[in-house]
Amino acid sequence: MIRTDVVILRGANGPTEDDARWSHDWGTTIVTVETSAALPPGHLAARPLATAGHADRAEAPFRIALTAAAVLVLVLLGAIVVLLFNGGFPVLVRFGLSFFVSTDWNPVTENYGAAVMLYGTLVTSALALLIAFPTSLGIALFLTEVAPEQLRRPIGTAIQLLAAVPSIIYGMWGFFVVVPLMSAHVQPLLKAVFGPIPLIGALFSGAPAGTGILTAGLILALMIMPFITAMFVEIFSSVPPVLKEAAYGVGATTTEVFRAVTVPYGRSALVGAVMLGLGRALGETMAVTFVIGNANRIAASLYSPGASIASTIANEFPEAGPGSIKLNALLELGFSLFVISFLVLALARFLVRNRLEA
Amino acid sequence: MTQLERRLLADRVWKIVASTLAGLAILLLAWILWTVVWRGATALSLTVFTAPTMPPGRGGGLANTIVGSLVQVTIGLVIAAPIGLLAGTWLAEVGRGRLADAVRFVNDVLLSAPSILIGLFVYELLVRPFGGFSGFAGSAALAVLILPVVVRATEDMMRLVPGSLREAAFALGASRREVVTQVLWRAARTGIVTGVLLAIARAAGETAPLLFTSLGNLGWSFALTKPMASLPVTIYQYAGSPFDEWVALAWAGALVITVGVLALNILSRVVLAPRGKASR
Amino acid sequence: MNIELSEMSEQFRQRRADLGDPGETKTKISIAGLDFFYGDVKALHGIDMKISERRVTAMIGPSGCGKSTLLRVLNRMYDLYPGQKAVGRVELDGEDILSPDVPAAALRRRVGMVFQKPTPFPMSIRDNIAYGIRLGEKVSKSELDDRIEWSLSKAALWNEVKDRLHTSATGLSGGQQQRLCIARTVAVKPDVVLLDEPTSALDPISTARIEELIDELKSEFTIVIVTHNMQQAARCSDMTGFFLLGKLIEFGETAGIFTNPKDERTQDYITGRFG
Repeated sequence: MIRTDVVILRGANGPTEDDARWSHDWGTTIVTVETSAALPPGHLAARPLATAGHADRAEAPFRIALTAAAVLVLVLLGAIVVLLFNGGFPVLVRFGLSFFVSTDWNPVTENYGAAVMLYGTLVTSALALLIAFPTSLGIALFLTEVAPEQLRRPIGTAIQLLAAVPSIIYGMWGFFVVVPLMSAHVQPLLKAVFGPIPLIGALFSGAPAGTGILTAGLILALMIMPFITAMFVEIFSSVPPVLKEAAYGVGATTTEVFRAVTVPYGRSALVGAVMLGLGRALGETMAVTFVIGNANRIAASLYSPGASIASTIANEFPEAGPGSIKLNALLELGFSLFVISFLVLALARFLVRNRLEA
Repeated sequence: MTQLERRLLADRVWKIVASTLAGLAILLLAWILWTVVWRGATALSLTVFTAPTMPPGRGGGLANTIVGSLVQVTIGLVIAAPIGLLAGTWLAEVGRGRLADAVRFVNDVLLSAPSILIGLFVYELLVRPFGGFSGFAGSAALAVLILPVVVRATEDMMRLVPGSLREAAFALGASRREVVTQVLWRAARTGIVTGVLLAIARAAGETAPLLFTSLGNLGWSFALTKPMASLPVTIYQYAGSPFDEWVALAWAGALVITVGVLALNILSRVVLAPRGKASR
Repeated sequence: MNIELSEMSEQFRQRRADLGDPGETKTKISIAGLDFFYGDVKALHGIDMKISERRVTAMIGPSGCGKSTLLRVLNRMYDLYPGQKAVGRVELDGEDILSPDVPAAALRRRVGMVFQKPTPFPMSIRDNIAYGIRLGEKVSKSELDDRIEWSLSKAALWNEVKDRLHTSATGLSGGQQQRLCIARTVAVKPDVVLLDEPTSALDPISTARIEELIDELKSEFTIVIVTHNMQQAARCSDMTGFFLLGKLIEFGETAGIFTNPKDERTQDYITGRFG
């Protein structure tokens, strides 16, 4: 409460009785000051409504500019779809749908198939998600509920900053640091542990080259983890405290509140965040290209080198001249990647909507 | 063990798991940064910023690639930011019904579209028809990357402006344009600028979309119609090369770009946080 | 600053005398057969009401009774939202404000509004006031300065902020912010000021200040206030309308409504039996 000793009222009107009472109660001196410029209140001048306001002549052009910009967003995506489809179309004409199931990728015989890349893309992304989702959830729980107050902001900020580190950095780090480590230590260890187990052992068979599907999945996981975590934290901190307090009020523990209130409250957004992470992993180029090994084959072992759609496009593009069928094949790969990412996003949206209605 | 004890134990276990995961993640991520800083700092010298790229064995630096990146990001931003601001505003203030849903969805698709596809798209749109890689094509690709970020940031931030503030402006007799440009944009300014800064940071670090558009250039050439060097593409090429000095330069470049991108991010957080108040 | 000091003004005692009894002044806003729709939902049913010039008219009733809806018809705030529709006749000084020929922006400059929560724009204190003035008028800098000072004084805020006009308005306390919003509204020099639960987000002391302010403002403005707080309606209004389920149940002099309500439902409400 601000106490003032003197109140100066300016204008034609003096203090009211209330002012006087108030001044008495609070021991405030009221001083009235007459202003030189008489400021008549509105009702003294007759103002017909038709002229009382003002017409904003810039209103119409402004609306047009807004709408045009919004339509441009639509047109842009339309152009992307059309150009990618158009660029890859000759491949569909030549190979038909077998393009998507053929594992053959041979520039010499000019036979192209996308199965290896589709496999590599899906498996590395699935691995990444498998690792990143629970980790991100745990970190987000830590950051929103467990960590001491002083640690939350710095760690949260650090994680958000790491989500911004360019993917090429992750790629270089993977190539120069992780690959040697995988080859020398991690892969032999995993092989020793899981190798004897039937079926699962096959995943960890083969030469520990360091590069390959597993390493790519790992790097991808590391790359999307800060991204997903940052979104999770944001979602969790948007839960109204009142809801959580209500659960605490009936005696729930921190993690029980987390599971019963926080996660369900943000469920739809969480799904969206995971899907966005998946979308990132699917289309990630640089981090994968460095470590996936770039081999056109499918093998059961996660140690074997492979290729993703994005890494293939990045690697093979320089050797694909304008007008070559190879360029068409790469564009068709691109179009397929677009369709996959589109489906993931559409699915995310569908899930989000369903859950909102439920 | 009573039920309560079981629950308390579970609570403890989960907390420990979460803390361990967080600790591990922080360690791993610190390791990445440490690698970049350590390897980058060893390779960093003044020449990196003053000399252009040279053939292997002749030294050289990254100056032309840094300038090339700046040029392309700036042009991309100049193209995309105004359009994004307007489109985001349309979504927040004007757009209703199916068209708005469509625009919002399409923008999300653009936002999550793999950046390498943006490169392919611009290759088909600008490079192939006009007969060559160009700095402008690179800028256009970056603009396509920046646009949806700005649209999203603008819409989100304008939606955060309390409805009562809009109504208060309308209640004073303002037109929609006045409400938007004079009150809402101002209220959302911090958030929108943050979004733009983050978009710049994203574009500056992108490699894939530039591979097929501006390609790269060894010399000091910043003609928009010619291929133009960029820092990320050069890092990519150098890191995979068999020459030690190029690999070292790649690390120097990686450090430069990481510092740049992180600085933009920190700037967007610290400097633009409302004065006198902690940002959230 | 060149200030001419004077003694406590005689004027205000005079003014009190001039105003005479409530109900004798001319009608400012006349509402006849007003229905309001949120899409298919009818929220107001045939409202008839005459709001007197330079009086404080309070609208009370339980949540969802339509009092705020009615307030938002008076400056056509509902226009912003597709699907909301007012049918009937609402006249401001005899002009039909619901007519599509009347620009909403023009109407709102004559019918100002203050909201439940303070809504300072993200600008300096001075710019907050200047913004509203400049929207509709071309004024010189000195005129603008005068108007700013005048309106801030009207809102009993001048003294507190005159030394920091250029600091951000969001740094003010809640009560100060609300008085700033009142100043911003009166700076436009409207005929009518609509107050939508203006004190529900404020502490008791700030509330008291605002109520005193309302009393002060009614010498120049027609005031319509929606409030949940019956004591507030009783304290600062001349006329009171009681709403229930979208209907105007009873409307009359405040003293009459609170001491001798004619309708049983009004009695139930003001004695706290429901709502």
